[in-house]
Amino acid sequence: MVLPEERYRIEPSPPLLAATEADDWPFGTLRQAVEALQRCAGPVPPGGQRPVYFDIVRQPAAAGKRPRKRPAHRFFVHLNADGQGGDGSETSPWWGLGAAVAGLVELAELGEIELAPGQRLRLEHVEMFSASALERAKRTKEAIAHAVFLAMALALVVPLMAVVGYLVVRAWPALCWDFVWQNPQDYMTAGGIWAPLVGTFFLVLGSLAVAAPIGVLAGVYLNEYAPDNWWTRLINLAVMNLAGVPSIVHALFGVGAFVFFMGMGKSLLAASCTVAVMTLPVIITSTREALASVPMAFREACWNLGATRWQTIRTIVLPNSISGILTGVILQVSRAAGETAPILFTGAVFFVPVADHGWESLVPYGPGDRFMALSMHLFTLATQVRGVPEPIQYGTAVVLLALVLAVNSVSIGLRVYLRTRKKW
Amino acid sequence: MEPAIRVEKLSVWYGQAAALCDVSLDIPRNEIFGIIGPAKSGKSTFLKCLNRTIEFVPGARVSGRVMIGGEDVYRLRDVFALRRRIGMVFPLPVGLPLSVYENVAYAPRRAGLHDRQALDQLVETCLRQAMLWDEVKDRLDILGTRLSGGQQQRLTLARALSHRPEILCLDEFSIAIDPVTTMKIEDILRELKQTTTIVLVTNLVQQARRLADRTAFFHSGRLVEVDQTEKLFTAPAHRLTLRYVNGEFG
Repeated sequence: MVLPEERYRIEPSPPLLAATEADDWPFGTLRQAVEALQRCAGPVPPGGQRPVYFDIVRQPAAAGKRPRKRPAHRFFVHLNADGQGGDGSETSPWWGLGAAVAGLVELAELGEIELAPGQRLRLEHVEMFSASALERAKRTKEAIAHAVFLAMALALVVPLMAVVGYLVVRAWPALCWDFVWQNPQDYMTAGGIWAPLVGTFFLVLGSLAVAAPIGVLAGVYLNEYAPDNWWTRLINLAVMNLAGVPSIVHALFGVGAFVFFMGMGKSLLAASCTVAVMTLPVIITSTREALASVPMAFREACWNLGATRWQTIRTIVLPNSISGILTGVILQVSRAAGETAPILFTGAVFFVPVADHGWESLVPYGPGDRFMALSMHLFTLATQVRGVPEPIQYGTAVVLLALVLAVNSVSIGLRVYLRTRKKW
Repeated sequence: MEPAIRVEKLSVWYGQAAALCDVSLDIPRNEIFGIIGPAKSGKSTFLKCLNRTIEFVPGARVSGRVMIGGEDVYRLRDVFALRRRIGMVFPLPVGLPLSVYENVAYAPRRAGLHDRQALDQLVETCLRQAMLWDEVKDRLDILGTRLSGGQQQRLTLARALSHRPEILCLDEFSIAIDPVTTMKIEDILRELKQTTTIVLVTNLVQQARRLADRTAFFHSGRLVEVDQTEKLFTAPAHRLTLRYVNGEFG
């Protein structure tokens, strides 16, 4: 038998082998081989994992060269579909073998799928909704992004748990209700932390009473009333920058302004005012953000109805932003509870004798008195006094942490409650 | 008779770009006045000038005079009283985050009406006029923001009617409302004409033709012409108008 000069054979992948009429090959031309594909097709069982394809291989390989495994041309087809359409690319496969053969014949006529000796053309079956290479890449990136974010979240949580766990374990021997209720005794080497705890409580209340009204109302003015001009923008910029000023700078300001200039002396009042000034910028900023989250369209609708700015704020803007405003305020309160620097020069002291029982022990400080505070007390125990048992030091830290946590939980609870009433 | 609205040489700039150029026109009382024109022709800007909501647009400058009931609105001290006399419906429906009832009762309450019975009555009337009553009468306490887009648009219309405005400005009030309901609302508008002056901005040229007594054609910020609606649609003075109403551009 004389073989034509060009020879092509069809190499089907395993699941298609049975359907192929093996004695048809070799084919004299590429077109014959392509048309023969039509007879080779059977439906492909769904769910197969291995690639399903036909290769058309030109034989023989050039002298001295092995046939290449890698196809010179790759096309894709939904073998189980029946219809027209697709262009044979991976993103748009041919719909059915008929369409594939027609498409390949057309390409062969145009001479676009010439095969050199040894080269192969692959027609690969893809499931209707199988992932293309692009989609597989997308899926990989998605998985990587997910993993990175998860890792960072864990990196955040793990040290936090470690810190809390470590503190609680070390403080365990000292932790009991007496530790909270008792005053420090024997030069702070025994007893509890009642006096500084009450001091911190009053400090927080005082700063809240000063900062919350000023901060929230100023935020309302800046967001709702102030015209958008360079003067307002300057104020906004200043407020944001103030939030970044270190607390020790606020402390020095407090000494100058409240302790000396306003004549408050080193007192609970002066310390409260200093802490209030420190927390103001963030309260203003968070208030403005909460207000800005209420869509402008609501305000304009009200103004169109003849409502004044204040009526609009009272009926629409505030009810829908109050959760955000309160959250901002309370988070600042918890921050104030933990600060040491601003109270260091303005009113907090190492030790104040405080009554152990009765009314006096509940309100041990007046606004003009010097006071003890938890953060300061912790500093004192750790560095200024010899012979303090370790559990007392760690216990103080745990109580401070618990206080902050309690305040923040109130904030979260409030936020959840108010958000359920949010109106859109 | 004093026209309800008299506009003299009104021009508006947004920054450097002129949005409205030298527009002068009179709108008599108890008329439905249609305004048509392609996009960016200044129709909505014109409406915003009437109740001074243009002042909410940053960088907008206005020159010229708008007289409503014989008073120059840009010299008014109490702009809220002005806005109470003008009902506005803008194309984007906005349900306030209040109950449906409170949405409609909002303006009357702000204006000092607190009598429950009168409010109930008013809310029902306005919702009926906006063809929304039958759909919401059993659930007046659900949030206005939870209504569908078309319902919110009718709610906006009911709200605009709730303070019994002397002038009702409608900017594309029907884009989210189905045609049958739109026809019913158009009938209501024809009734309202007895007591109200209506300014109707619309992209639906045929809606203007159905409803308006007179129609103005705006193009790129200028008032091209204003005439009796039938005349404007059949024998306009300008070729541009003819081409627009015949749908050849725009």
